[in-house]
Amino acid sequence: MMEITASFYDGKTSQRKEVRIHFDPAGQLWITGLESDLTYALSEIRISPRVGNTPRSIYLPGDAKCETLDNDTIDAILRLQGRGRWQAFLHKLESRLGYVLLLFVLTGVGLWGLVEYGIPALAKRAAYALPESASRALGQDGLKVLDRVLFSPSDLEEKQRSQLLSLFDDMTQGLAEEQDFRLEFRKSDRAGPNAFALPSGIIVLTDDLVLLAKHQNELIAVLAHEIGHLIHRHTLRTLLQNSAGVLVIASVTGDVTSITALSAALPTMLLEAKYSRAFEMEADQFALKYLRAHNIPPKYFVDILLRLEKKTGYDSARHNYLASHPATSERVKMFKGEE
Amino acid sequence: MKEKIGTTWRCPHCKTPIKKKDEVCWGCGAKFENVDVAQTSEETLAVKMEEKKAPDISTIPFEFAGKAGEYFKIWIVNISLTVLTLGIYSAWAKVRKKRYFYGNTLLQNAPFEYLADPIKILKGRLIVFGIFVIYTIAMNYIPWTSALFGLLFLALFPWVVVKALTFKTRNSSYRNIRFDFRATYGEAMGVFIGIGAILVGATLGFAYPYFAYRRSKFVMDHSGYGKTPFVFSGQVKSFYFVYLVVAVFVIIGALFVMIFVPQFIFPQMATQPPDEPTIGLAVKMILPFLLGLGLLVYLPVFAYIKTAITNLVWSNTLLGNHRFKSTLQTSRMIWLYLSNAVAIVISLGLLIPWASIRMARYRLDNLKLLAADQLDGFVASEQEKVGAAGEEISDFFDFDVGI
Repeated sequence: MMEITASFYDGKTSQRKEVRIHFDPAGQLWITGLESDLTYALSEIRISPRVGNTPRSIYLPGDAKCETLDNDTIDAILRLQGRGRWQAFLHKLESRLGYVLLLFVLTGVGLWGLVEYGIPALAKRAAYALPESASRALGQDGLKVLDRVLFSPSDLEEKQRSQLLSLFDDMTQGLAEEQDFRLEFRKSDRAGPNAFALPSGIIVLTDDLVLLAKHQNELIAVLAHEIGHLIHRHTLRTLLQNSAGVLVIASVTGDVTSITALSAALPTMLLEAKYSRAFEMEADQFALKYLRAHNIPPKYFVDILLRLEKKTGYDSARHNYLASHPATSERVKMFKGEE
Repeated sequence: MKEKIGTTWRCPHCKTPIKKKDEVCWGCGAKFENVDVAQTSEETLAVKMEEKKAPDISTIPFEFAGKAGEYFKIWIVNISLTVLTLGIYSAWAKVRKKRYFYGNTLLQNAPFEYLADPIKILKGRLIVFGIFVIYTIAMNYIPWTSALFGLLFLALFPWVVVKALTFKTRNSSYRNIRFDFRATYGEAMGVFIGIGAILVGATLGFAYPYFAYRRSKFVMDHSGYGKTPFVFSGQVKSFYFVYLVVAVFVIIGALFVMIFVPQFIFPQMATQPPDEPTIGLAVKMILPFLLGLGLLVYLPVFAYIKTAITNLVWSNTLLGNHRFKSTLQTSRMIWLYLSNAVAIVISLGLLIPWASIRMARYRLDNLKLLAADQLDGFVASEQEKVGAAGEEISDFFDFDVGI
């Protein structure tokens, strides 16, 4: 026989009555202290889950309920009844610092695995599974937006353009791809010397980049790099990874974001920097393979990379929001090693 | 002087059960001057109860019993299980968090209780998630739908407000009596779209304090505790006063910046012609300075509005014959916001539970019920259940329709 003191509320008025509840292990409880005693089967009542040391509610049939602070006795009764095991487990987790820390570490590892492997793998699948028409719409919309905010029409001579276009056609001819490869020329002071790869096969070269090149092979190297981005669906994958990453992080840190908006943007920035690094390396590898297959010395790529770095300095990192590159020295090393 | 009747301690004035160590009766506010104890039998109690005179208005403080250490553990488990279940546990996490804060909020030693069903919240969240996915896809592929979504959202907004408030109140109880909220879509439309969007827009914001007034009035006047309605008796001019103070403060702040900042930053530029590096340096120095200054203006303004409006709304709200009194101080609120933000950033978020508990404690420590009578007479109302979708939408977009 177990006894607790509790406050009784009938659910019709806010009147409080102090009562005692007697529990009979045989499966009954009775409440004394009211005008007449109440008796219930334990199976008829519901008990609120334990959260910290907040008062417990015992919901009686009808609308009445009792509130008690005697959490331990209630837990003992539930244990005897074999009820509320899941809730008891939760409370156990929440009440021991050791479990809490263990769970925290486990979560950290899980989250890391998800962001590091899970999301990229999913994004890759999704990027290749996306119908060509959808990715074409994405690419064309993307170009429209860039035309509005970043680009103006190219000032390059018609002759130079058609020369580059036929060069590009030669490069993309042999590729077994369902993408419609298309080269576009644009002028942009803000983007500087730059190249962009948009979903469904659009590559944009800025006038500054074309003028920066001192040899046709340098532009071939740059185009090969961008084609590498397209072949591996990098832009689409970055887009998907970032949105998924944001979704995961926003759901985890729902608590945090309400306090500081900064925390929502931060993880995206980190993700973006990391993903694009791996993607740049992959595109570089593709370019390297292409150059080798066509007997073009990789030094041309190194030359234009170095000139690009000299020209843009630190600013490139700020402007290149579609393609933030790994350290030039790192990439140059890779190409030099191949010579 | 306290007395013991049977096995319980009671106040000699109003016979409310009390604890032995209590110094003030929470029933009638009487002070127990000494700890001498009078033993009375149950028989004499009956006599004394008849002599009991109608109690005067007594001040009953809200108390908050939450502890940062305890909540920290609950919070970590909530986050961890939410991650490990890919977000499904978030509904249970929300309920446990709310139950912790409600259960630790005490009035006359009785706790509040949060009663929402996690399954319902999960359903609400799935609906919101579905809407979000449809919205994102539509935005990317059919750009012209953005106007349609804008209109839809505008039309949906009053519905969300009503459903969110209904869900929130009907799932809150005190002494086994649920709170209540009853308002029609049209009423919410009038306040939030008619006044909040159209009138405020048409008057270039000058009607905003009037909107703030109508919003508080809308929320309070349609709320109830059981069958007893809340009534808001605040006046428009009080709201205008709050925003007038803000306007004066902002204007003085702006003047201060315009007059003094150039003298701090540009003294060396007066003596030598500015070349590019100097300007670059000056910009680098100004930016953090302006940021700090912005915070210096923004934080007090934000804290002042929050404090003044909270005090204003609660201190002018009636529940039957009972009133409330809120005594938050702007300076304390600024300190809490500032120190909480610093602590959270330095601890990489681990002090969020501590900050939440601290804020809840300060707010509740400064809220009092001025009771005209015993709190026994409230009667429950008939309520039907309401879905959680509205509440979850309002949570998702993080708009606070509270007061």
